[in-house]
Order: sequence, then C-alpha cells, then structure tokens
Amino acid sequence: MNPYVPILVIGAIGFGFAIFSIVAAAVTGPKRYNRAKVEAYECGIQPSPQAAGGGRFPVKYFLTAMLFIIFDIEIVFLYPWAVTFDQLGLFGLVEMVIFIATVFVAYIYVWRRGGLEWD
Amino acid sequence: MGLEEKLPAGFALTSVEKLAGYMRKNSLWPATFGLACCAIEMMAFGGGRYDAARFGMEVFRASPRQADLMIVAGRVSNKMAPVLRQIYDQMAAPKWVIAMGACASSGGMFNNYAIVQGVDHVVPVDIYLPGCPPRPEMLMDAILKLHEHIGSEKLGVNREQIIREVEAAALAAKPTHQLKGLLT
Amino acid sequence: MSENIGMFGASGSGDTSGFGGLVRSAANFGSSERPYGSYFDEVADELERAYPEFSDAIEKVIVDRGELTLHIKREKLFETAMKLRDTESLRFEVCLGVNGVHYPEDKDRELHAVYPLLSMTHNRRIRLEVSVPDSDPHLPSLVEVWAGNNWHERETWDMFGIIFDGHPGLTRILMPDDWPGHPQRKDYPLGGIPIEYKGATVPAPSERRSYR
Repeated sequence: MNPYVPILVIGAIGFGFAIFSIVAAAVTGPKRYNRAKVEAYECGIQPSPQAAGGGRFPVKYFLTAMLFIIFDIEIVFLYPWAVTFDQLGLFGLVEMVIFIATVFVAYIYVWRRGGLEWD
Repeated sequence: MGLEEKLPAGFALTSVEKLAGYMRKNSLWPATFGLACCAIEMMAFGGGRYDAARFGMEVFRASPRQADLMIVAGRVSNKMAPVLRQIYDQMAAPKWVIAMGACASSGGMFNNYAIVQGVDHVVPVDIYLPGCPPRPEMLMDAILKLHEHIGSEKLGVNREQIIREVEAAALAAKPTHQLKGLLT
Repeated sequence: MSENIGMFGASGSGDTSGFGGLVRSAANFGSSERPYGSYFDEVADELERAYPEFSDAIEKVIVDRGELTLHIKREKLFETAMKLRDTESLRFEVCLGVNGVHYPEDKDRELHAVYPLLSMTHNRRIRLEVSVPDSDPHLPSLVEVWAGNNWHERETWDMFGIIFDGHPGLTRILMPDDWPGHPQRKDYPLGGIPIEYKGATVPAPSERRSYR
C-alpha cells in the first residue's frame, strides 16, 4: 500500500473532527445574543467607533508586501540551487545570476518608490 | 438550532445533564478580574502550592470570550462598574461569577461614595466568598462548591421548571428585615 | 488658632475610645523670620536674586519642623515655578505633584494647592503653597513647567474643584466623568449606605458617631 495513505487518513479525520465540532456547536448551542458580545473587545470600555470596512489602509503596507514577495520567492529558488551547487556548475551560476538580476529590477522599483523608507 | 433548550424530559435528559455538567465543570477557564488585594490571593491560588492547574484552571484568559468563570477579586469602584458589566456581557454562556472577598460580596469595609456595595448590583453572582482576603484554600473551596453546582445544573424542560420554582420561592420568601437574627 | 478636640467620636456621649480626650491646637502661623536655618536662607536669597518681584509674590514663609513652605500669590505662581526650575542655583527639577487642601473656615482662602519640590542637583526640598477662594477657584496650570503634574492637577480638580487654567485636558480622573461634587472637600458626605442585617438596619459607619 502506498506509504502516504495513512497521512491522508489522519488528515481526513482531523478535518472531519473540526467540521463536526463546528456543526455540533452551532446545532446544539442556544443563541443568546446581546449587544456587547458582538462589539469589539477593548478591555471593557465602550469600543471607539471605527470607519466602515475597517478604515482605509495606508498604501505603504502594499509596498512591504511586495518586498516580502520578492525576497521570499527568490529564497525559494535559491535554496535548491545551494543544495545542488556542484552538479549545476557554471551553467547554474549564470542562470541564477540572470534570475537574481530579474528580481533585482523589482527591488529597484520598490526602492525608488520609497518602500524602504518607513516613517 | 438551539437544541439544548428543546431537549425532551426523561432518562435520556438526566444522562445528558450529567454528562454536560461533568464536561462543563472540569477545566473552567477563569477570566482575569483581579482588581485589588484579593487578586494576590487569586494569583497564589494559581501558583504552585495551591494549584489551580489541578482543576484545569491555570489559564486565566485575558479575553472574556474564551472564559467561563469570572472571579471578581477585589473592590469595584463606581468607575469600574460599567467595565465589569461589559466584560460580563462579552463572556459566552454558560458563564458563572464568583464574588471573591468581602468587597466584591458587599462592599466590604468600604461603605462610601466610591465603591459599589456588592458586585451583585452589577452582575448576577453564583458564589459569594467572604474574607479579607480569603485564603487560597477558601477560594478553592468556593470553586469546588461551584463545581458541584455546575455538575447538577438542569437542562431543557427541567431547567425551565427549576427556574419557575426558584422564582416562586423568591417571591414568597420573607424579606430580610422580617427575619430573626442576632440583632433582634 | 483653631482647636480640635478629639479625633473622632461623639462629643458628650460616653465615647470610651480615648480619642475623645485628645486636644490638638492647629496654630495659624504668621510668617517666620530670617534666618530660616539650614539651606532655606540660600534658597530664599537665590530666588530673590533670580526673580526680583519675588518679595511681593510671597505671602508668607513658614519654617516648621525642618521644612520650608513658601506661600505664593496665584498670579505669580507660574513665574515663580519657572524660576525655581530653571535658575542654576535652585534647579528644582522634580515636582512631586499637586495636593489640594480644603479649609472651610478660612473665608476667601478655602482651597489650597501644595506643590512639594525636590532639587536633585542640590539635594533640597521645599514646598510651595497657593490659596484660592472657593468663589473663584482658578489657578495657572504648571504642566508646562513640570509635565508630570498633568494627572495630579486632574486629581486635584476631581477631588477639590480647583480649576487649572491652561491644562491640556482637565477632566475627572478618579470618579466617573459625570460625577457631581468634589469628594475630598470637608463638607462632602462620606456617602455610605445603611447596612441591612436580619431584622435590623444599622446606619453607615460615618453616621453612627460624629466624625470631625
């Protein structure tokens, strides 16, 4: 038998248990609504009123996310190259340099856009 | 939805009550409501010598949404009373309240403009624990009594019947100033 | 000179606590005279040198039990405080907060505000005291001189009713925001409720005996 089948079975059991817990709680539990329960928790004081939809986010967070993507994806490809460095030799080196240069263009974009200045 | 309130009476209900009571009373999670000196004794109760962890209560939840039990430990000032009520409202049922210490039970030694004379003016209390402050063993005793109370709580139609009986008894009861006590 | 007889306890009514026999006379001090003793003379001299109008800012100087108290007029309070903090030879950098006092018998000087000051560079302690009448309880706020006085001034407003002009946010800090009255004044009742026992109701502790 495929050695990975037990993992799938355990995954299914876990998933099924989670679904069962949620459904069982929703079905058997009473619904006791009060206004404070749906309000935000602010250590007991009345919560400060928030703008609709959570308010507008400053755009600088988008640039941070972009930086993360750049470096994270780059690292994901750098790891296997580091592992098989010897076998790939010069070909691998040249190819990785081209890859890093491509990602570097995106990095320059973020840098010139002010994404590294956090104020 | 809301099956708990619609359970039919009978043997099955008694077993379900016992099971539900057993599951609810073990590992009650307290909400941190230590206000004053009684909080020190509550912390001692959570410490190693008077272990709260043996009841599953070592996790004092900071968020009321994850807590079952609110131990009001300490005096509640008039400024703190709405905060106390908001925290109580944000707890999910089933929830219980222990008024720990003399100040939470009745205002304690502070009979003045600033202190609420008994936390039952603000939230419904299940166990009143006297003391100034009560020793951790006394708090443990209160919690064990609360465990017995929770283990024997009724569900469904039995619960409604009990509520009717308790209310009728309270309406027919003699008021305090007509009882005979040490001062009369 | 006001005389206080007993600490608490009903007068003329069989009070056996022993406090009823206590007689304390609170002397109403006149100004002490030079020399003041220890470093107080230096402080007074430096202050006069740095702030020439000091002599008409001051109402009285009291040296009692090894402590110097300068009674200042409220119009000159801010400048005096600035000079005390900034002059090199004085340098009272630390203000231990404002404390309010209420003397209901002292007409036109009912509310006092007391500022204990500490100089860490010179290791000195003095006290400033300002009096205001109840009909016009305004004082300049010293938050710009010593920023730590912010909450102390709010507490003094809350408990005594002294209004600090120029304070960045003078609201109640100990009592709920809409509380009427100022609790620490001498004429404010303690506010206890009668206690109900089985079969009897006992009045609140503050009503059972007359408290001074």
